[in-house]
Amino acid sequence: MIRSLRPALLAVSLFAGLGLSSVACAQSPVAHNDPIEPINRGFFAVNEALDTVIFKPVATVWNTVLPQPVRASVSNVFGNLDDVFIGANHLLQGRGKDAMTDFSRVLINSTVGLAGLIDVASTQNLPKGEGDFGQTLGVWGAEPGFYMVLPLLGPSTARDTVGRAARVVSDPRYYLADAWYYSLTGLEFVQIKADNVDNANLIDTSSLDKYAFTRNLYLQRRAAVVQSGREAAGAR
Amino acid sequence: MLRIVFSLGLLFACIAPAQAQNAAAEDLVRRMAAEVTMQVRKNPEVVNSPSQLAALVDQRLMPRFDFNRITQMAMGRNWPRASGGEQGQVTAEFSKLLVRTYSNALAGLKDLDVQVRDSRSNSAADVTVRTQMIGRAKPVAIDYTLSNATGGWRVYDVTVEGVSLITAYRDEFNGIVGSSGVPGLIAVLKQKNAK
Repeated sequence: MIRSLRPALLAVSLFAGLGLSSVACAQSPVAHNDPIEPINRGFFAVNEALDTVIFKPVATVWNTVLPQPVRASVSNVFGNLDDVFIGANHLLQGRGKDAMTDFSRVLINSTVGLAGLIDVASTQNLPKGEGDFGQTLGVWGAEPGFYMVLPLLGPSTARDTVGRAARVVSDPRYYLADAWYYSLTGLEFVQIKADNVDNANLIDTSSLDKYAFTRNLYLQRRAAVVQSGREAAGAR
Repeated sequence: MLRIVFSLGLLFACIAPAQAQNAAAEDLVRRMAAEVTMQVRKNPEVVNSPSQLAALVDQRLMPRFDFNRITQMAMGRNWPRASGGEQGQVTAEFSKLLVRTYSNALAGLKDLDVQVRDSRSNSAADVTVRTQMIGRAKPVAIDYTLSNATGGWRVYDVTVEGVSLITAYRDEFNGIVGSSGVPGLIAVLKQKNAK
């Protein structure tokens, strides 16, 4: 029953991403491309409420109860899996050298780093890269399209939503049994929230209109990520 | 031949001051970073005390920031529409908010260190200095954009991992001024600072 939700959710996000990005392209380049702002603000409010009521408390307890090495290990295991995708995206962007670094990280961390528990590679001059499919699409020339706030996942754009969907279906976890899929995804979600408690608090204290502030930070950040991808691809 | 010498001379005339101004701007950022890291090393507890952090930021960093320019840029097209009094109020309140934001960003850092990577000259009297801050799980890229248009180098934008603070606030300011005018913006800023 729940399993059947996965393709449905994916289809919705893909449809939303692809269908509307063509509309978005026709618009004049204003400061921010946010034609569905009322809907976005709605989802934003729901996400904020969930954060306050559930995720922040959970993340805080998580950070208090678990010792730092344990939390780091959880981060590292997911990070190790993510390095595979970062490497694949660097390849797609034509950044062979960066991809070599990413795959060397996976090799070292999966073996010497005990199945990814310890990020040995970062201490061996193999720094963690930055790469995702949204960035790859951007490097290939896709515009970000309109801004959207996804339920639970937060800020995104039409392009980045397509990127996220591609990441979900290409992840081996997607093909695991329900219990595993949802526990692992939930665990990663909590760990990401826990890693970002400080950033979230910083946005709270510095923003006047949190929705607009978050939107601007996200769009600027993604533009910078794509730009650095382009530069790295050009400099290869 | 003369033409080559002339153009080479012109080229050099353009490059030399650019390098000098880069060095001056880099110097200022380096000094600023050194002062803050020294204070934190002397008293590591400072990063856990909001009031001490605010004092540190206020005394060591803020004198090097050009708040008039920062506020003017964040207000964008709404700046000339505000009265002189309103401009002053927005500047004062926005400075307070930035001091708090900055203090919060420094809170809880471990083994703080700032390395100047390089700098690029944007135009005459305008330089961006790229730095890397160590102290969180991953190094953070922070770029300071400085100008000495008003005599003496002062920072007027900070870009964290590609995100410009001025640009971020401009979007917000625009929205608030659009819906409730400059007095509305002043009210929101005051309210935020009172929290």
